[in-house]
Order: sequence, then structure tokens, then C-alpha cells
Amino acid sequence: MSLKEFLKEISKNERVEGELIKTIFYSLATSLIFLGILYFLEFRFIEKFITAQGYFLFFAALSYALIVPTIRQVRAYKELPCMSGMMIGMTVGMIAGFLPGFFVASTNGMFYGSIFGMSIGIILGIWNGKCCGIMGVMEGMMAGFMGGLMGAMTAFMLFNDNLRAATVIVFLISMVILLSLNYMIYKEMIMEERKRKEDHFYTIVITFILMSVTIWIVVFGPRSGVFG
Amino acid sequence: MKNLTVLGVVILMIFLVGGFVFTNSEGNTGNVVAPNPQELQGDAQLVILQQENFNYKDVTANAGKQIQIKADSSVRGCLRAPFFNIKGKKYSGYLRTPEDILQLPALEKGVYSFSCSMGMGYGKLIVG
Repeated sequence: MSLKEFLKEISKNERVEGELIKTIFYSLATSLIFLGILYFLEFRFIEKFITAQGYFLFFAALSYALIVPTIRQVRAYKELPCMSGMMIGMTVGMIAGFLPGFFVASTNGMFYGSIFGMSIGIILGIWNGKCCGIMGVMEGMMAGFMGGLMGAMTAFMLFNDNLRAATVIVFLISMVILLSLNYMIYKEMIMEERKRKEDHFYTIVITFILMSVTIWIVVFGPRSGVFG
Repeated sequence: MKNLTVLGVVILMIFLVGGFVFTNSEGNTGNVVAPNPQELQGDAQLVILQQENFNYKDVTANAGKQIQIKADSSVRGCLRAPFFNIKGKKYSGYLRTPEDILQLPALEKGVYSFSCSMGMGYGKLIVG
């Protein structure tokens, strides 16, 4: 029943859930415009850029377009019950660690993928988990730590075994998990009022920062020895 | 703008950019193709790695000659990235296809252990 309500809510503009699609749009547009400008100015001169790095950067842009709206939804309610907050910390930490770790390990090796995945996962896990206090913070930290390592390791082990297809599958599963989290937050907070109202400035800034760091590491960053 | 219209624009963006990325990329994984693998100076010998269960089969080579390492199609997953630590100097490479080569210098007689880059599969290079 409430899934139908959630889908209805998405098409309206009354609650923060009604802004999810617009947030996805702003985030995706920021990433793709930024990536497009860099591609036409610089990256198209790099040999096999799309095969080696562009493919993974495209999926990074799609991933951030799903993570950033969740951050916005959590920020809108400011405080959540303990169990929900822990779930948010865990899900955001895990996905925000796993996906960037996976993409960076695909181009730079396991060490740099792990470090990058853990950093993004732990930072976003803590930031979102703190909506319910220390338990959410710890959950976010642990999930970011594990997700970052797992994402990088998975990519590294799939090098010669359909890594590109695995990228699509991993992204689709993560997308379902994040959309389920959006629904869970809606269901938990259906009786609550929105505490914080903000425009899309943060969406654009957060996406731009995440994308800049990812692009820098993937294209110009250090690589493990195995990458020659 | 209505949310459904925005959703349509988002899907269109994904299909346009995704289509560009998919049509312009090759069926290659990572950016790990060895540059000019055929270039080699002086005498060299070829050693082909094979996989046995979850490890490498032991391989032999002659002392005093440079070594080119290849991996045949029996070698899978992270074992395609062999890693040698010879007297503190590290040699590793991703042998994506059976044609890709990892070059080692001329070695003295002895047994050199090596592993895949993740340390999951092991093998011995016996130089005689």
C-alpha cells in the first residue's frame, strides 16, 4: 500500500520524496556536463580513454546520481529513529564505499581502489548515519570500511572475467538497494514534517566534488604495479 | 517542470551518454594492456604459465637469459597477473591475453617463488 503512496509521492512535489527525481537530474547533469567538457578539452586525446576509464567514470556518475538524492532526503528530516538511522548509515556507507572502490580499482588497482572506496564510504556513512547519533555513525563507518575494501577486491578479482558486465550488474543491484532505502525513509517518516528545506545547491556541490576527485584519481592518479 | 518529464529527460540522458560510451569502448577490461610487449633486446627465452587447480604449474628456464613470461588460456582470474619479487625487485604485469608478455631479467640458477598479484595462487620458476 505505502509503495503505491511512495510512487504517487514521487510524482508530486509536496514532500522531499517529490524532489528525488529532480535531484537525480541535477546530479546527473552536473556529472555529465563536467565529464563532457573534460572529454572534449582533454580526455579525447588519451588513447582508449572510453574503454579504459570513460566506461567506469560513466557508471560513477550514475552512482553519484543515486547516492546524492539519498543524502538530500536524509538531510531533509535531520533526525531519524535509531533503527532507521543505523540502516541509513549502513546502506549509504556500504554503497558509497563499494561502488567508487569498484570503479577506481578497475582502473588504478586494488590498493588505490580500497583507499578511495573506504574514504568515500566512511565519510558519507558517518555524515548520513549521524542522523540517529553514535550508533548510526559507527554503522556508517563500519559499512564504509567494509564496502570500500569489498568493492575494490571484487573489481580486481574480475579483471579477466567479464569486469564490464559485472560493472553493470553491480550498479543495477546497488540502484535497487538505494531506491529501497529511499522508500524505507519515506515509510518511516511518513508522519513527520520536513525539518530542513534547501535548494539544489548542495546537490550540485557534492556531486561536483565527488566527480572531481573520482576523475582525478582515475585519469591522473597513482596506479598499482600490476597496471604497468 | 513535471517530475515525469524530468524522469524522461534523465532516462534520455542516460541512454544518449550510455550509448556513446558503449559504442566507443572495446570489449577490454581495465587499462592494463602492456605497451609494446614484443620489444626485447638480446637473447630471450619464452616461459608459458599454466594453471593447475588454484595454483600455477611449476615452470623452468635457463640461467643467464632474459625471460619472457606468457600465460596460456588455462590461466584465469587474478592468476593472469603474476607477481615476482626477485631479490627485492618487483616485477608484475597483467597478461590479459595469451599474447601479452611480462619481461624478467636474466636470472641466476635457483628456485624463484611467485604468486598472483592478490597472493592467492602460487608457483615456482626453476632456473637451471
